[in-house]
Amino acid sequence: MVRFISPFWLAIVLFGLQSYSSLGQSLLDALDTEPTAHPVTATFKDTRVINMQSNETPGAGVLHFVIAHRFGRINEGAYSLWGLDNASMRMGFDYGLTDRWTLGVGRSTFQKTYEASIKGKLFLQKSDNSVPVSVTYYGVIMANGLRWQEPDRENLFSSRLSYVNQLIVTRKINDRTSLAVVPSLIHRNLVDITSKSHDQWTLGLGGRHKLTHRVSINSEYHFLVNGLDEATTNSLSLGVDIETGGHVFQLHITNSQGMFERAFLTETTGRWLDGDLFFGFNLSRVFS
Amino acid sequence: MKNTLTFLVLLLCSAASTLEAQQFISRAGHVRFFSSTPLEDIEAETVQMSAILDAGKNGDFAFQIPILTFHFDKALMEEHFNESYLESEKHPRATFEGAILNWEELNPTGGWQDVVASGNLNVHGVSLTRTIQGQMQFNAGSWEIRAQFDVLTADHEIRIPKMVRNQIAESITVYVDAVLTPR
Repeated sequence: MVRFISPFWLAIVLFGLQSYSSLGQSLLDALDTEPTAHPVTATFKDTRVINMQSNETPGAGVLHFVIAHRFGRINEGAYSLWGLDNASMRMGFDYGLTDRWTLGVGRSTFQKTYEASIKGKLFLQKSDNSVPVSVTYYGVIMANGLRWQEPDRENLFSSRLSYVNQLIVTRKINDRTSLAVVPSLIHRNLVDITSKSHDQWTLGLGGRHKLTHRVSINSEYHFLVNGLDEATTNSLSLGVDIETGGHVFQLHITNSQGMFERAFLTETTGRWLDGDLFFGFNLSRVFS
Repeated sequence: MKNTLTFLVLLLCSAASTLEAQQFISRAGHVRFFSSTPLEDIEAETVQMSAILDAGKNGDFAFQIPILTFHFDKALMEEHFNESYLESEKHPRATFEGAILNWEELNPTGGWQDVVASGNLNVHGVSLTRTIQGQMQFNAGSWEIRAQFDVLTADHEIRIPKMVRNQIAESITVYVDAVLTPR
C-alpha cells in the first residue's frame, strides 16, 4: 500500500502544507512585542485645574506664562456690569528646570502678594497601571505686600509670609476623564487673632472631562478640614478649558477671588447660593 | 526513478525550510519626520522602529513604529501630537506591510541600490496602498535599508484645526533607516 503513494506527491503535499502555514501568519506578527509601559501624559490641559495646581509641569527649558483675572461679584448687578468693572489680576512665570521640576514666581493684585513656588512630579502614572496614580508636590511661599497697618510698631518681615504644601494625586481614568485629590497644609506666620491656629488643612477634589480634543469642562472643590468660621466658605469652581495650540484659555466661575493658594483655600467668602461669585479666566502661553 | 523522487522530496523540503529561515530583523530602526512651514519647522524622531525582511523570493517586508516613542524638542508639541493628532492611545502603532518589488534583481555585493516597496501603510488607523522608493545594501551579513516618503495628514484622517494650519504642513516627510540582521 505504502509504495503506491508516490514520494513526488508526498513532497507536493508537504511543500503545500509548509507554504500554507507561512502564508497564514503576517510578517508583522513577528514584530509584535509586549507593549512597554509608558508614563501617562496629558492628564490635565494646563498646570492648573482652575485655581489649584494640576499634576502638569511645563517641561525642561520651557517658560510657562499665565495671566489671570477674577472680576468683581456677579451679584453686584448691571451697575458694575455684573462685576466686570472690577478686576483682580495675577501674573505668573513658571520655568521648567527639568521635565519634572519647575520653579515659579507670581504676583497678585489681591493683597499685593508675591509668590515663589516649586513643583515636582514625584511619581508618574504608568499605562500598565503598575503605578496607578501620579503624585506631584507643590510648595509655595506667599508674601503679603501691603503697607503695615501700624508702621510705628515693630513689624517683622516674617509676619508677611505664609506657606502652602500640597500633594497632588491624579489619575487619568481614560482619555477624556481625569481626577485629582489634593490635600493641602496652609501655615501662616501671623494670624489675626491669637486664638486662631497657624495651621489649616484642606482636602481638594478636582476633575476634568474632555468634550473634544481641545475643549474640556473642569471643576474643583476644597473642604476646610478645620471647619469654617462665619465669613468663610469652601471654594467651589466650575470652568471650561479651551486649547488653541500654544495657548490655553481657562474660563470659570468661582466663589474665590484670590488666585494664590492660601487665599482660595482658606479665605474664600463667596456663597454660590447667593450668586456671590466671580467670573474669571487664566490665559497661559508657553515659550521654549 | 525512486532515488530521483526522494531527491526531489528532500530538495523541496529544504527549499521550503530555507524560505522560512532567511529572515532579517531590526528592533532599533530610526525614524525621523519633518514638517516645514514658513512659520514653524517641526521635527521628531524615534529609534524604536522594528522591521522585518523575508529573504524568500517575494522580498516580503514590514515595519512597525510605536507612535508614543516619537520625541519632540518641545514637550507641548509632543503632547498635542499624541493627544490631538495621532491619538496614540487609540492607534499606538504605524505599520507598513508589503514587499520589495525588485527584490530578485538585487545584487548583495552591489552596494546601495534603489528599491521599490509596495504595500499597505497604516497611520492613525487608516491604511493606504503605497509604493515607496528607497535604497538597500547588503553589508557584513546584514541588510541596510533607507527610505524617504511623504505622508499626507488628510489622507490618514489626521485632523488639523484651521488655527494651526499655517504651522503644520499638510505633507509630512518621513525618513526611515534600519540595519536588519539575520534573525
